[in-house]
Amino acid sequence: MGVAERAVVTAAIDCDLHVAPASMEVLLPYLDDYWRSYIDDATIRMGGIAYPVGAPTTGPAPAATYEDLVPVLDAAQPQRAILSCLTLDGVHRNPHYAVVVARAVNDWIRDEFLAKDDRLRAGMVVSALDVPAAAEEVQRLGPDGRYAQILMPVRNDVPYGNKLYHPIYEAAQAHGLPLALHAWGRGGHAPTTTGVTTTYLEDYASNAHIAEVQVLSLVAEGVFAAFPELKVAFLECGFTWLPAHLWRFDKDWKGVWREVPWVSERPSEYVRRHMRFTTEPAQLPQDAAQIAEVVQMVGAEMLMYASDHPHDHGGAGAALIEHLGAQDAEAVLRGNAAAFYGKAVA
Amino acid sequence: VKVVVARVEDFGPGDRKIVKAGSRSIGVFRVEDDFFAIRNRCPHQGGPLCIGRLASWARADLPGQVRMDGPPRLVACPWHGWEYDLETGQSFMGPGETRVKAYDVSVERGDALGEDVRHAEEQPVRIPAAAQEAGREPGPYIAETFSVYVEEDYVVLDV
Repeated sequence: MGVAERAVVTAAIDCDLHVAPASMEVLLPYLDDYWRSYIDDATIRMGGIAYPVGAPTTGPAPAATYEDLVPVLDAAQPQRAILSCLTLDGVHRNPHYAVVVARAVNDWIRDEFLAKDDRLRAGMVVSALDVPAAAEEVQRLGPDGRYAQILMPVRNDVPYGNKLYHPIYEAAQAHGLPLALHAWGRGGHAPTTTGVTTTYLEDYASNAHIAEVQVLSLVAEGVFAAFPELKVAFLECGFTWLPAHLWRFDKDWKGVWREVPWVSERPSEYVRRHMRFTTEPAQLPQDAAQIAEVVQMVGAEMLMYASDHPHDHGGAGAALIEHLGAQDAEAVLRGNAAAFYGKAVA
Repeated sequence: VKVVVARVEDFGPGDRKIVKAGSRSIGVFRVEDDFFAIRNRCPHQGGPLCIGRLASWARADLPGQVRMDGPPRLVACPWHGWEYDLETGQSFMGPGETRVKAYDVSVERGDALGEDVRHAEEQPVRIPAAAQEAGREPGPYIAETFSVYVEEDYVVLDV
């Protein structure tokens, strides 16, 4: 039974469904004169650094309008779908521009999608280039109720455990909004922690170990001691790396716990309580018994379904759902996300 | 057997002395006005535990806001850094590991036991409150500790 057929049994909560404006023109009505002129002067175009046009992983263009999205929703019949728009993370480092484009993207996604279909929710985009402004954006949109998470790229300049991000986390916790760290990042971000790589292969595979760094950073630097209600979703970063990573994290913490005494439980306990990981892409073995072992080690309760439409990472995500028992499949397709996002997806 | 370790006046706060008692090497520590004695052999891999660094428990409710919790009462083995509570000998590494010696245990009828049987005293696991607050779980290794006290002018070890 494939995902589509299973979805009829369990209407899924899709935690990562991509949309993107067809061009910068679409966002211009949400910007003032100066920024319209800036975009024109700087010849800013929609960038697609993560998914090059024509690459097998890229798939068709993400939905640019609600009309584009309708066939996707008709096919999948989700209970809820949380839209991700990564347009903000283009190739720029202008904090002022980042603030206004974040606001424009959030307003566009509301008008183009959220206002037209009750099943839809969105990640609100904010930029780490201006942390106080990002916190203000969370305050502005938090009360809306249709933004289910705060969408930021998993690659950034300073790991997410750093205190500089606390104003965002404070606002996130106040509004009960999870942080969602999505694979990739702004152009110019080294795809590894040690520098720039040469190939797309390295770049693509790097999202997992960058996520590992963020898991370490968020727990070790005490984000959950300071914000005990904050939750973090990792979108499109994989999850099969978790067992070995958490084992090592727990082990080393026991040795150097005095450096981080605000970590007063095993690090893996924080991860299990505060973090969730989406199913697509799944990097799984072929063998059914081995898939079952991976799921047992990771814990089905840690996983939330994502279509990652239109991106195509192969069949592993579907294989994962197929190999789950009925109860775990329901949890991964819907229940875990329902509990994680709470009233935003109710 | 009582073993005199030193005169109290020669054993200041923060000092330690490693003494030989029969075939055993034992470290005696003075932490403020408390004396502790612990076997100078790390149960992990046999390292010279008592020449290791002393440290306190550390506490923090928020990142960066750390306070040391009491005087240093943990000794870390110089070989692998395993820390042991001076009072209880408890380590907090490797909880859940099963690297302890296993003994046979069976269920038998009371009248089959005969006369020559000793009743075991139940030994509760003693976890210092500071360890619990730091989220640490007791591991399989407990360093052997000994009674040490001040008698008149002398620090006396009971082995």
